[in-house]
Amino acid sequence: MKLAIDENRCKGCNLCTKVCPYKIFKEGKKLNRKGVPIPELDRPERCANCRLRNLYGRQLCGVCQLTCPDQAIHWIDEEPYEPHKVAIEY
Amino acid sequence: MSFEDWYRQDRLPHIFCAGCGNGTVINCTLAAVEQMGWKQEETIFVSGIGCSSRASGYILADSLHTTHGRALAFATGVKMANKGLHVVVFTGDGDLAAIGGNHFIHACRRNIDLTVVCMNNQIYGMTGGQGSPTTPLGCLSSTTPYGCAEPPFDLCELAAAAGANYVSRWTSYHVKELEKAVKAGLETPGFSFIEALVQCPTAFGRRNKFKQVADHVEHLRSHSLLKAKRDRMIENGEQIPAGMFVVGELTRRNRPAMGVKP
Ligand SMILES: Cc1ncc(C[n+]2csc(CCOP(=O)(O)OP(=O)(O)O)c2C)c(N)n1
Ligand code: SF4
Ligand code: SF4
Ligand SMILES: [Mg+2]
Repeated sequence: MKLAIDENRCKGCNLCTKVCPYKIFKEGKKLNRKGVPIPELDRPERCANCRLRNLYGRQLCGVCQLTCPDQAIHWIDEEPYEPHKVAIEY
Repeated sequence: MSFEDWYRQDRLPHIFCAGCGNGTVINCTLAAVEQMGWKQEETIFVSGIGCSSRASGYILADSLHTTHGRALAFATGVKMANKGLHVVVFTGDGDLAAIGGNHFIHACRRNIDLTVVCMNNQIYGMTGGQGSPTTPLGCLSSTTPYGCAEPPFDLCELAAAAGANYVSRWTSYHVKELEKAVKAGLETPGFSFIEALVQCPTAFGRRNKFKQVADHVEHLRSHSLLKAKRDRMIENGEQIPAGMFVVGELTRRNRPAMGVKP
């Protein structure tokens, strides 16, 4: 699983940057088609749902997705054999 | 399935302003509906008029976008015509407590088997920021330019006094709690009322010193007082600081209800 922001939906409110317990969302500078700055993902492989969703067979955390007022955050499956970064949480 | 599947993807992005809390409340409500395992064709969403009331149009199920203040009247009709349907009502503070005030208290009194989610942004958002029956004392709106001088309604106390079986209040900050509260409301036979305080950056925040969306959400977080803590404070004779509002499950009881499928 990996995190994705739908650039066509995001309105740049930056609420996601406040709610993620890992602070994965950072205020971004890149503008979408409508001129809205889209948040950037900082080491998204740390996301609990990305790491453990398939192992546990259920949604974990998900606070960013519930909070995003514009339904712009979701998880997508990786391509087969896509290289992974290994995230180690101490 | 996840709650995303309850959205009409072709209708998104919705019309709400950037940072508007309404979208968050729809997410939480749909996440709760999703957990109920209800069929889409047996679930009906009803709403009145207002920004918040646009919600029903974005959901992949039958929905009624009715006239201002009358969502509960239409929802009562739906429930009376077919008790097998699950009826969820989205409404705003103006829609529910101003023009729809009488429908609200009588729906609570009759204890009709509905779940009502009120997105309380403490203002009339859609029409440009007039004061509503829940605008807090001293807050600015286009009809209270010197600060609101009238005391606001406490919608949850109103619902409980009028007879609702389930009442709880959360905010757009408390997404997980809100989801659980809506689920509890959906499970409870009789009238369930969930008030969700939300930010309205355009009509409320802009006038009331919340420059950033996050400032308003932080205000909602820091001014919510858990019910258990409030009860403890009253027991110890402590003063409840001004501007705080109680959050949590406020009422749960089993009065005789109307419209419950036998
Ligand atoms: C009978 C009638 N009276 C007045 C209006 C104008 N009107 C439209 S929305 C609205 C207020 C909505 O406020 P609220 O329910 O709090 O929704 P919000 O936009 O804040 O989410 C009013 C007065 C109307 N549409 N119909
Ligand atoms: S919460 Fe949603 S709309 Fe707001 S900035 Fe993040 S992704 Fe964009
Ligand atoms: S006016 Fe307020 S309530 Fe209406 S969409 Fe904008 S922020 Fe939301
Ligand atoms: Mg309102």
